[in-house]
Parts: sequence; structure tokens; C-alpha cells
Amino acid sequence: MMNAMNVPSKRSTLERKLDKLILTLFATLFVMCFIGAVGSAVFVNKKYFYLHLESSEEGGAQFDPRNRFLVFLLTMFTLITLYSTIIPISLYVSIEMIKFIQSTQFINKDLHMYHLETNTPALARTSNLNEELGQVEYIFSDKTGTLTRNLMEFFKCSIGGEVYGTGVTEIERGIAERSGKKIEENISSNAVREKGFNFDDPRLMRGAWRNEPNPDNCKEFFRCLAICHTVLPEGDESPEKIKYQAASPDEAALVIAAKNFGFFFYRRTPTMIYVRESHVEKMGKIQDVPYEILNVLEFNSTRKRQSVVCRYPDGRLVLYCKGADTVIYERLADGNNDIKKVTREHLEQFGSSGLRTLCLAYKELHPDVYESWNEKFIQAKSSLRDRERKLDEVAELIEHDLILIGSTAIEDKLQEGVPACIETLKRAGIKIWVLTGDKIETAINIGYACNLINNEMKQFIISSETDAIREVEERGDQIEIARFMKEEVKKELKSCLEEAQSYFSSLSGPKLALVIDGKCLMYALDPSLRVMLLNLSLNCHAVVCCRVSPLQKAQVTSLVKKGAQKITLSIGDGANDVSMIQAAHVGVGISGLEGMQAVMASDFAIAQFRYLADLLLVHGRWSYLRICKVVTYFFYKNLTFTLTQFWFTFQAGFSGQRFYDDWFQSLYNVIFTALPVIIVGLFDKDVSASLSKKYPELYMEGIRNVFFKWRVVAIWAFFSLYQSLIFYYFVSSSSLSGKNSAGKTFGLWDVSTMAFTCVVVTVNLRLLMICNSITRWHYISVGGSILAWFIFIFLYSGISTPYDRQVSFSLHSEAGNLIIPR
Amino acid sequence: MDLDSGTSSTVGARVQAIPGRPAQHGALYQFKQQNLPACKPVLTPATVIASFLLMGFIFIPLGLITLRASNSVVEIVDRYDIECIPEELRSNKLLYITDDSISKNCSRFLKVPKSMRAPIYIYYQLDNYYQNHRRYVKSRNDKQLLHGLGDNSTSSCKPLESSGDLPIVPCGLIAWSVFNDTFKFSSGSSELKVNRKNIAWKSDRNHKFGKDVYPFNFQNGPLIGGGKLDPNTPLSDQEDLIVWMRTAALPSFRKLYGRIEEDLDADDVIVVQLMNNYNAYSFGGKKKLVLSTSSWLGGKNDFFGVASLFIGTFCMLISIVFLLLHVKNPRPYGDAMYTSWNKKSSSS
Repeated sequence: MMNAMNVPSKRSTLERKLDKLILTLFATLFVMCFIGAVGSAVFVNKKYFYLHLESSEEGGAQFDPRNRFLVFLLTMFTLITLYSTIIPISLYVSIEMIKFIQSTQFINKDLHMYHLETNTPALARTSNLNEELGQVEYIFSDKTGTLTRNLMEFFKCSIGGEVYGTGVTEIERGIAERSGKKIEENISSNAVREKGFNFDDPRLMRGAWRNEPNPDNCKEFFRCLAICHTVLPEGDESPEKIKYQAASPDEAALVIAAKNFGFFFYRRTPTMIYVRESHVEKMGKIQDVPYEILNVLEFNSTRKRQSVVCRYPDGRLVLYCKGADTVIYERLADGNNDIKKVTREHLEQFGSSGLRTLCLAYKELHPDVYESWNEKFIQAKSSLRDRERKLDEVAELIEHDLILIGSTAIEDKLQEGVPACIETLKRAGIKIWVLTGDKIETAINIGYACNLINNEMKQFIISSETDAIREVEERGDQIEIARFMKEEVKKELKSCLEEAQSYFSSLSGPKLALVIDGKCLMYALDPSLRVMLLNLSLNCHAVVCCRVSPLQKAQVTSLVKKGAQKITLSIGDGANDVSMIQAAHVGVGISGLEGMQAVMASDFAIAQFRYLADLLLVHGRWSYLRICKVVTYFFYKNLTFTLTQFWFTFQAGFSGQRFYDDWFQSLYNVIFTALPVIIVGLFDKDVSASLSKKYPELYMEGIRNVFFKWRVVAIWAFFSLYQSLIFYYFVSSSSLSGKNSAGKTFGLWDVSTMAFTCVVVTVNLRLLMICNSITRWHYISVGGSILAWFIFIFLYSGISTPYDRQVSFSLHSEAGNLIIPR
Repeated sequence: MDLDSGTSSTVGARVQAIPGRPAQHGALYQFKQQNLPACKPVLTPATVIASFLLMGFIFIPLGLITLRASNSVVEIVDRYDIECIPEELRSNKLLYITDDSISKNCSRFLKVPKSMRAPIYIYYQLDNYYQNHRRYVKSRNDKQLLHGLGDNSTSSCKPLESSGDLPIVPCGLIAWSVFNDTFKFSSGSSELKVNRKNIAWKSDRNHKFGKDVYPFNFQNGPLIGGGKLDPNTPLSDQEDLIVWMRTAALPSFRKLYGRIEEDLDADDVIVVQLMNNYNAYSFGGKKKLVLSTSSWLGGKNDFFGVASLFIGTFCMLISIVFLLLHVKNPRPYGDAMYTSWNKKSSSS
């Protein structure tokens, strides 16, 4: 809960920019009204005797030339209501409608983003952010469960200085492919495959380990796997049917491995663990061995290890410990340096293959030593204050002088299509940052595996694992450590930045990658260093942050979001990604194995990382394109319409006379021009989905926001101006000598109907010109809208012939009355 | 930018049938997968040049035809508001028009430039007259015009609402300021007959002005704006009023006065006897008399023809320029080399 943040409500950047456009429109409205009102105040003159301007009847003040300032004010209000059509109120409704359909019908129903194995379609949890998906420049990705499957499989191990396991990881394959070598794989037919276990080595299977040089070590290794855990067995007590309930998939994988090696953990009671051991005393012999569990020293993120003290049936006391290599190595007994050295090499080898490693160790306990320690342990356990810390301290007392058994390597496979997807996203101009809790080596390897980093890139590594820092840390003075670390990080950042800038100015320099670990990040995120970190990381094509806490993930995200003003997307699957998902402009949750928290916090949920390409490059890009078109078109059509009215004001004595009938004006946005633009918002596409993915570079238009710049708006405004002038002057110049077949001339409403027809027809046809693809629905809606106008005017003229259309004008005099108290 | 090769293509099914799900091919399925058949208008040089050419081919003849129609109309326009004031009063036009004792008679001689075929429409034209002013436009009461006195409120007619206790019929500024110059025409010694029936729109006569409504108290007030009406003729027959009350859209407008239903020959001289009653002097307006024949396109107006010719020629020119550019500088289409990102990388 410490990492929890307030849930932000997200609005898309485009919508925020739209607000600015609307403000501009309001300013334009004000300027137009001002011009009109000044004109009105200048125009009123008693010489126009037919207007009776100086009469003193109630409500006559609106045009009384004796008080021109009042004329100005009242006309201002009249004109504001008259020109209010410039503000596209229906725009928001239309956009909401379009986005709703886009998210519920297109994104949620897209078969390209439907995961068959888990029967999960994509899910847009908000319809606010569709077009934001088309402008993402930075992706922050979690690793486990997002880039990888979060299906842990026991893959290799190192026991007593010997590596077992013949598999080849995808990463190794990737490395080999890059260097041009070919790896032939010999999958033996009798390899045991089950969920969590992908290991094959005849030297260990079916009791063959007895013939290995170090059978005792092997035995301890397997026992450690079978005993040192907090897994609960479930179901039938047979190897085939049993199910393990584990806190993490890694733990389950280890217990499954033990089972396959012949150490079958099948029952747990509060004090006992039952293991069915095979081949221990001699080949083929199976016996059930109960171990009494005396203490469990549990895993947590500071300890990074887990220990169990158990009593053998024969009374032997043994402590089994498994944990991260760094913490285990610190606590090993002296001697046996060969094995330590070899195992460390193996660990590095595993790490560079992208495997997750754990070290196993054990220790025989003397009963007296144990008893005295146990007292302290019980005391700590029953203490009321600081129990956690005290327990940690007590554990520290017994977890030393351990004997190294070996290490395990668990593979967390990359999800299908991740490297290709990342490659595509990179070509689209998107920068991908991986934020992971893993160690630096694993993170770098994952970076390699998924094409994020390659050998041509210049890598900057800022790590806290340097000798200088370690030395200071050993002295243990917290303040000193902090000061020193900060200096170090600052120095590092500075030198990296300088180097990066030298590459940057030389243009043809290599692409840059930054790798930074959580501790350094903590200092680098300090306000004084933040700018430097931002400058450096924005110049990098790939950034990997390892060993970061959930809060740091969110901090990094908001650093880029606020500092660089770029649009960010966070993708993750676990509860530890929630704050990052909430911090970014767009949060994407992977509906995977680690519960639903990430999905509940996200704006979009997809089943696999690779669907991100579809979500961004296809749906995001199209949505962005469409919404931009809808917005600019709305702007255009309302401006055009209002401007014709504006030009008329100049020739109507600035009186605020309506050019168009009330009904025309109110139905303009609702019926005559409403549907086609929605159709464009739904169906327009410049290139097909497959081309969008084939040429990801198209996406860069969205990042640069080329379709909704002020320049684009200005071009549309120019078209509005020009077209409205044409409408108005063509119609007005023809009205003087215009006559019907009987020589009768036209009145105000005839002329305005003509002008309105021009506006409706042109504005609708203009829409077809901005379409990149035209479906039959375009034709139907455009034709239908124009037809609707003609049908409407046909019916309306028939109905309203008895009275001229004057009813509406009372509204303005009412408004006038509000201003001047009678 | 478009990388599709064809000028129009129907996008085929993007998705193969997913196993375990029945294959769907309905319109709804296509809609959800965003796969609706669509044509893609691609702006290739050929289509652009062709469409500009086509516009040229449409607009140039259109312009010629409308110009021809406009030219076939014979129109005589005579401004008489100044000429009709006696020389000595021209410095004080207002005195002239407001003094009832000064005769408003006036004669004008119009020469017919070309032969005019009947019917010849007679219009009066007013310039700088704001019939479209908001105060003016709303100052009428349609219910009263149709139904006469009743319990209808006539507040919309402000400021000319009532005289004494009764509402004025017809009330309001528009009716009050009705135009009252009159014209009589003669050619040589014979008087030309002017048909003044059927000059208003039929819908106005039948549906907006009542047959039982008589202007019994019209123009009785202290201020007199325009003409008077015969109190014994119902409004539906007061065609001058009906014409006047169809308010014009712009400050320059023509209204139909009558029709001469005889042909006039070229070089005939028409004598117009007019009563210059209406006050257009106080606000600097102009009064004109217009005699015009009619074509299938209406009155004389060169504007549309000239505009069409201009547009057509312009389109032609553009298509020629594009054609030359294209011939000089051809390039293959659908080549990804020309996309923006590839260009940028090659130039840097």
C-alpha cells in the first residue's frame, strides 16, 4: 500500500489541445461580436426613418442612437447568441460516440488481439484514450509476465561445480543467430516434460545421479529443493495428480523439479514435511521420509533468501537455505573455494542466458547451538514491536557458515512474438524502457533477447555494484553512503551525458542504450540530478532500469511524462505495476497470470505483449487519424456556417438579424451534417491494418502530431473563410437580379435558404474529399444528409407558410429585457 | 503517401477463420474487424490532371451558356431620385420630399437599346435601404395580416403598434414604410398598359394575407412613413403591400412593380410619368427604375458566367501545369523509397 497513489482521471492530450482550440474559437467569437457591436453602434442613426430608432417604446433602447454605448452592449449579447454556432457543442457528443464504438466494437472485438489459448479478447476499459494510443512515444514495460510468459520452468542446475541440463534458451539461440552460428538441438524422446519442468539430463534422471562424482551433493541439492519452501500440496498424493500451491511460480517449479528427480514432496502438516525419496540408499528403493520442520525463516525482499531448519528422522539438525547469489555468497563458510568459483562462473553463464538463478546451501546444526538460537528466535517471534526487523536479525545469527550445494536456473520464456513486436515498435519511433525488479545481468540479457539492445549500441551502465560503492557500504554509515552514492551517480551521469552529446553531435554515431539500477536511480531521481537523467535518457534509444521498486517505476514514468512532455504508455501485468500504469498517459494491463490488479488499474487490457503492435499501430493510429479529421472537420463546418452569417451582419446594418431560419441553424449540426462525420470517425483509414504494421514508420506522424497542429487548423480556417465568402457573395450577388419565372424577386428567407443549401451541399461533399477510403456508408450518409435537407425544406416550407418565421426573434428582445430592468 | 498500388481496391478478408469459431462473413463481422469493402481514392497524377481537365470542360461551357443567357436579357436601369428634384431644391432634398405642397411629378425618357420581348418586368430598385435590419424585419404581425383584428397581441409590431385603442392594421414598421412611388409608361403617343396584377408570390397572397382584413386605420398617425392603402380592399389584394412585405435580403433590392405586356422595339423612347413620393433622401438611398426582360436563367447577371469561365480556365491551366510537371518529372508509384522516413534517412 506504500506504493499506492491516487487514481488519476485521464484525458487524452488531443482532447486537451482541443480545449485550446475551443478557447481560440471563443476568442474569435468575441472578436466577431465586438466588430459587429461596434458596427451596430456606429450604424444606428435617426436618418433611417423607417426604423424609428429614436422612439421611446419599451425595448427600443437596443437601437437607440442617443445611447450608442448601450447599443454596443446589447448588440454584443445578441451577436453572441447569433454566432454561438461557431462553438461546436455537438463535437463532444460525436467524439464520445465515435470513441465508444471504436473501443467497444473495434478494439474489443479485434480478432488480431484475441488470444485463443486463454480465450481473452482485448479490453478497452476506457473510451477516453483511443487516439492517445496513436501518439505514444515512450513505452515503459515491466519484464516478468509482460515480456515473458511468467511460466517458470526448471531449466538447468549446477551441483557441486558441475552443470546439468542440456536445453538451449531462446536468448542463447538469439545470440547464436546474431553471431551466425547454428545450434543443432537434440531433443531426446524420453525427456520429461511437464509444466514447470523443462529439464533433460540423463546424468541426473531416474537415480543416475548416484553415479555422479558428487552424489552426496546431489542428494542435498534435491532435499533442499524438496524441503526448503512454503509450498502446499493439493489433491491426490501421487506424482501425476498432485498440484502445488505456491506463492510464486519459481517456488512451484523448484518443488516440481525435486519431484522429477525422485524427491516427491507429497504432504505437509504444521510441523512435518513428507518426502517420498527414491534411489537414496540403493537404486530403485522408495521410502517415505518425514522431516520435522522446526523453523521457517521466510522470504522477503530485503533478505532475498529463505531458510528452513529441519530435523531428520535420525535426529540430525539441518538448515537448508536458498536465495539470491549475492546474499548466499556473503554467508558461506570459508574453504571449498573451487566450487564457489566454478559455481559463480556457472551463475554468470546462466544469467547471460537469461535464466533466473538461485543458490542453494545447507548447514548442519549442533543441537546446543540450535537450542540457544531457538530461544532467541521464539523471543523475537513473540515480540510485539519491530517483529519483522527482530526476526531478520535473529535469522542473521544462524544463516552463516553455510555450505554451497549448487544453483538452480529457471527459465522464464519470452512471450511469443515479443522480439518482433519490439522491433516493429522501435521502427515506429517508439522508445521502449524496460523497468524490472531483476538483476542487471538478467535485465541486459532480456534486453538482448527481445531486440531492445544489440551489440552495435553504445551502452551506458550506471550500477551501484562497483567496488568503490561497496567499500563505502561496508563501513555502514547511512549518511555517508547516501552522500557518496549521490556524488558517484552525479559523476557517472555527467560523463555519460557528455559522451552521449558527443555522439549526438556527430550524427552518424551509434545508437545509445542506458542501463541503470534501482539504487542509482533513487539518487538520480533527486531533483538536482533529474534534469541530467532526463537529458541522458531521452537521447537513448533503449533504457533498462533494473532492481526498481514499484514506486520508482511510477517515478520514472512521470519523469518522462512531465519532464519531456511526451506521451507515455506503461504496460505491466502485476500488482507492482499498478502505480506505473496509473502514472502514464495510457496504462495497459496484461491479463495474465498475476491476478487482475494491473488490469483493473489499466485503460486497456491485452492478453499478450505482441498485441501492443496492433493496439498502437493499427487501432491507435487509426483512432488518432480519425479523431483529428473529425475535430478539424467540425471546426471547419461550424466556422464556415457561422462566417456566412457574419458576412451577412455587415449588410444588415450590424443589427444582429439572423440570416438563417432558427430551424436551419439548430438542425445544421444535428441532422444535415451530423452523420457523415461520424462515419468518417469510424471507417476512415489511410492504409490497411497489414500495411500499418508492415510500415511502422507511418506511426511517427502521430508522435509528431502532424494532423492536429495549428498549421492544419489554420489551413482549415482558410478554407472556411474562402468558402464562406464564395457562398455569401455568389448568393448575394445573384439575389439582386434574381427572379423566378414570373419575374418575382426573392425575399430574405429565399436568399438565406439558397445560401444554406450551398453550405450544406458543399460542406457534405467536402467531407468526401478528406476521406482516405470511402465505403458505401460514406455515400449513404453524405447523400442522405443532403437529401434530408431537401426533404426538410420541402416539408418545412409547406408547414410554415401561413406565418413568416418571426417567432424566434422574441428571444432576443427577452435577452435585451434581462439587461435593462424595466 | 498511399502505398496501395491500385487506384481502388477492395480490401480482402484480413483474418483467417479462427479454429473453434464459426467463420463469420456478415456485414457486422466486417464492421467489427474494420474490413468493410471500401474504395480508396488515390491521387495519382493521371486522376488529378483528368479531374482538373474535367472541371475545365464543365465550367467553361457552363460559363459561356450562362453569359449568353445573361446577355440575351435587355435591361434598362434609370436612377431618378436626384434627376426628379427640381434644380433649385437639390441642395435641400429633405425639404423637397417632406413638403407636400411641392409637386412630385416627374418625367423620364428611356431609350430602348435593343428590342425587348414581352413580358417586360418593371422593378423599382432601392439602394442603401436596410429592409433586413433586425428591428425592421420583426416589426410585423403575421397573425394579424391573416386574421385581422382579434385578441392577437401585436407587441411584435413595436414601435408602430396601435393608434388610439385599436391596433393598426397592418401594424409594424414594414407596412408603415410601404413604397409609394408610382409609374406610368407611354411610348410615342400610346400609353403602355402596365399589368399590376399577380406581382406578389402566390403563397403570400393566398396564405399570409387575409381576404377579410381591411386596412381601416392605416397611416392615420402623426408620422407618415410611406404609402396609404385603400381601406376598402382586403389585404390579400393589396399586392404592392404584399410585395413590399416580403423583406429583401440585402440593402440593395428590386421589387416587382408590374409588367408591360407588349414588345418594345429598339430605339423606342419610353416616357415615364412618375410620382416621386417616397423618401429615400434622408438616409442617402438611391431609387432606380428597372425595365428588364427575362431569360431562362432569370435577370441580367454576368457574375456567375464570368466566375464559371474564370474557374474553368483556371482548372485547365492547372491541369496543363501538372501535366507538364508530370511529363518532365515522372516517378514510379507505390515505391517505399519515397516515403517520408526513407527520404529523411537518405538525406541525412
